[in-house]
Amino acid sequence: MRTPAVSLHEALLQPGAHDLRRARTDWIMQRIFQVAALLAVLPLFALVFYVTLRALPWLSPTLLFNNPLDQQPGILNAVVGSLQMTALAILVTGPIGIAGGVYLSEFAPRRVAAIGELVIDIMLGIPSIVAGIFAFLVLVPILGFSGWAGSAALGVLTLPIVMRTTQEVMRLVPPSIREASLALGVPVWRTTLLVTVRTALPGVLTGLVLATSRSLGETAPLLMTARGTNAENFLDFGTTMNAMPIVIYQYANAADERSIGQAWATALVLMVLALLLNVLVRWRTVNSRVA
Amino acid sequence: MLDMVSEKSKRAKAAAPVEQHDGAPVATLADQGGLLALGGVEAFYGAFRAVNNVSLEVQPRAVTALIGPSGCGKSTLLRTINRMHETIPGATVKGSITLDGIDLYDTDVDAVRVRRVIGMVFQKPNPFPTMSIYENVAAGLRLLGRTPKSEMDGVVESSLRRAALWDEVKEKLKQPGTSLSGGQQQRLCIARAIAVQPRVLLMDEPCSALDPVATLKIEELIRELAADYTIVIVTHNMQQASRVSDSTAFFSMDENRAGYLVEAGPTPMIFTSPKESLTESYVAGRFG
Repeated sequence: MRTPAVSLHEALLQPGAHDLRRARTDWIMQRIFQVAALLAVLPLFALVFYVTLRALPWLSPTLLFNNPLDQQPGILNAVVGSLQMTALAILVTGPIGIAGGVYLSEFAPRRVAAIGELVIDIMLGIPSIVAGIFAFLVLVPILGFSGWAGSAALGVLTLPIVMRTTQEVMRLVPPSIREASLALGVPVWRTTLLVTVRTALPGVLTGLVLATSRSLGETAPLLMTARGTNAENFLDFGTTMNAMPIVIYQYANAADERSIGQAWATALVLMVLALLLNVLVRWRTVNSRVA
Repeated sequence: MLDMVSEKSKRAKAAAPVEQHDGAPVATLADQGGLLALGGVEAFYGAFRAVNNVSLEVQPRAVTALIGPSGCGKSTLLRTINRMHETIPGATVKGSITLDGIDLYDTDVDAVRVRRVIGMVFQKPNPFPTMSIYENVAAGLRLLGRTPKSEMDGVVESSLRRAALWDEVKEKLKQPGTSLSGGQQQRLCIARAIAVQPRVLLMDEPCSALDPVATLKIEELIRELAADYTIVIVTHNMQQASRVSDSTAFFSMDENRAGYLVEAGPTPMIFTSPKESLTESYVAGRFG
């Protein structure tokens, strides 16, 4: 047996001071990590707190349920407009995105899947103003300044999110699950739909909710397509439509205190909606899975 | 004549006959045979030959064990029998595999139908995680078509009974399939496989992920199932092969790393007086 360089005595027994110093270093490092975490979270809390503080005085049923042209102006058409355009965008890009994600994960040859992933990642990185310009130059000439154009612009941003998330979660389903289904004599397409997708469903839903969250908050694309309006147009996608981010932008730029207050209130509404969506996702993920 | 390809008239007399699944007749236990014959089977992963020229006859209603050191293509060979091998991109099979005289790789034969007649149980138990125990056992039926609930209840119960799992789970059929222990999960997978009434059951090292107690239970189960099914089991455990099987086939690897059949015969003979010296070395524990 080789003779070790250090004797066991030396290897194990150290002067007491080393241990103490190590314990202190451990403590310091833990404190550093802790402070860093707090610093990271602080801006978020500050934001939420400050917005709530400024918005609360202006929050009222009149604000929420009236339209801009009413006696007491409100933001109803903006809330409805946001929800409508987002809903339409998700309704269209959701199924397409899921189907595309399923294809890339289950059926595409490796090369195609790699290229597809790259393309989607690039699309994911498109700044929203660029998506807005694209919609402005390409879609508005066809669809006009309208809810259609607004939804389309949002769709450009949501499609890659849904597709990428779906692809990723489908990939996470263990091959053994697919094999078990195939070995039972279940055809490939049924295996994909009824077994693999079903197993990945919580993740797919998360992708949809993430896309919805993103789309609710987008400002630039909507400014250049749906433009915003004071009119009470519900379900009229053919003309300009109002949305919460547009309202926030316009009111925040105004001079009077009332408008600015309304901007704060709208911001709070938007934030609460986004928060609710997030909570919904987590609650579903925890409760809906059988396991 | 196997009704995998023939007309629908052959039915009844079976233990729990299941109706048509989108037009495909289901093999029943009343039929005879189940003789699986492999002739000159070769299996490839792309250009690499993993299994070289295997010819073997698997007796019906009996357990045949495939033994040999790691990497000899035993699992690959097993997967050619139920046409799972070809699901891997680039994987191909040569030679003939017939069940009761029907070529499983014939152009008239659909791979999906083959897998309904030849079931498989995997090394690591793989119940469907989003399904309950009941749904897991019924998965083969539900995924393949519409079976009335009353019938499904019957099939689920009889499959779980045959898999020696009914008493342990009858109170908790709605619980997730993954809430069971490893040994129970494997029996659940066996129940799932036999619920679609296959003729042949392939088992790829079914006990290697389980503790000794669960292993023993499953070995007992295999001996019971042999009365009704043709079973082929791949195992690394020689003692298990000698306990459980009626016939044994010993595989080894040649210079090109392709698996080949060294010797096959009745289990007692293989283990006590094999003809090949390589077989003797392996069963004596001198290598592998």
